[in-house]
Amino acid sequence: MTLKLGRHEFADDATLMMAIVNRTPDSFYDKGATWAEDKAFERVTHVVAQGAEIVDIGGIKAAPGVEIGAAEEKARVVDFVARVREAHPGLVISVDTWRAEVGQAVCEAGADVLNDAWGGADPELADVAASYDAAIICTHTGGVTPRTRPYRIEYDDVVAAAIADTVAYAERAVAAGVDPRSAVIDPAHDFGKNTFHSLELTRRLDEMVATGWPVLVSLSNKDFVGESLDLPVGERLTGTLAATAVCALAGARIYRVHEVVETRQVVDMVNTIAGRRLPARAIRGLQ
Amino acid sequence: MPGVLALLPEYAGLSDPVADLRAACVKAVAWLEGSVEIVADAQGRRVAEHLLAAVGSSGPVIRPAEATPDRARDLIVVANGSATRTEKAPGHLDERAAAFDEELGRHLREGDSESLRAIDVALADELWATVRPLVELGAVGDLGAGETVYDDDPFGVQYWVMRWRCES
Repeated sequence: MTLKLGRHEFADDATLMMAIVNRTPDSFYDKGATWAEDKAFERVTHVVAQGAEIVDIGGIKAAPGVEIGAAEEKARVVDFVARVREAHPGLVISVDTWRAEVGQAVCEAGADVLNDAWGGADPELADVAASYDAAIICTHTGGVTPRTRPYRIEYDDVVAAAIADTVAYAERAVAAGVDPRSAVIDPAHDFGKNTFHSLELTRRLDEMVATGWPVLVSLSNKDFVGESLDLPVGERLTGTLAATAVCALAGARIYRVHEVVETRQVVDMVNTIAGRRLPARAIRGLQ
Repeated sequence: MPGVLALLPEYAGLSDPVADLRAACVKAVAWLEGSVEIVADAQGRRVAEHLLAAVGSSGPVIRPAEATPDRARDLIVVANGSATRTEKAPGHLDERAAAFDEELGRHLREGDSESLRAIDVALADELWATVRPLVELGAVGDLGAGETVYDDDPFGVQYWVMRWRCES
């Protein structure tokens, strides 16, 4: 069905690139590259030029560390959202937060999507999305506390668990008033999961797609890629793109990425192979 | 010994990130003869059973319900210290972890049963340490000094592999 992300609507078959723009000094991949606001703003301009339909702005790194309270989180993202909103009216602005208080402030400033990476840790976030007619990304984390690492977590069936939790979250959001076209599910690779779990979710992503809810995947440079190939953070693009291709074949709609151009090419190529997208321009042998 | 899931075959990779620990566990388990009782939570039990199978243990594994005080048997106690020893540890860094593990390690090496029975379980939970089986170990009788086969924290989690030969 049509995907409605705040002010913006997308057709049934559209796949979207969600470019990560972190407003943190210490996220695992960009390591503070966009901590200075002007650097972050440049990155937004850059990814928009590369074709990203969405930017995902986050104020707190996912890993454990110094506690960042709501006030500091807002200081990092709210004004920036307003600035991006004004400069890029056609851009979908997503904010990566689990807090309803932050969600409220960024929606006031013009955000279209609330990306809840921590699986509903603050149940009021869905109400905020509903009241601002914003979209919400519903993740599976196995119930872990925000910013904790998985420790000996096991599932009888990680895919069944991810589907159950994300669909329940999406249904709760719709019941709270979120537009049914505005709830997205995300298995959240590596969140509350080990490498085997993330691999299995990738392998069986078609089951998540079959629920009918649009699926977002966030694979970029993650540890399940690093552990599979024995490669450090800076060398995981190829592995990430391989996982991306598998998710694309399964029918994922939104891809949360550090590298827009490469991911867009992989997703388009896979969808063309699958017959869901026409080749851009075909004349060879057809003249 | 610690209930490390990476020791299980279902979590095997091309290389073994816990090779040294595995060797120490296999060495320790291989000493056991006859009937074995496992003192562990559900995950720890699976690790112990896998290691017993790995050494080709011939003795029966006694379920807790079958154990009686007068039936001689060996024990495998599956436990570990805190998982909050470093910034990269699963539970991140808790400043209290080092002292907690140092003290617990000492009680184990000394076979101090009374101190094991009195472990601060609430603090252990906050430090992500698996200690309830050690409290049970403290109740089995005279432990005597323990022999350390392995004592390390390669992933920010305190692992010990130790053995005691008890008279009672």
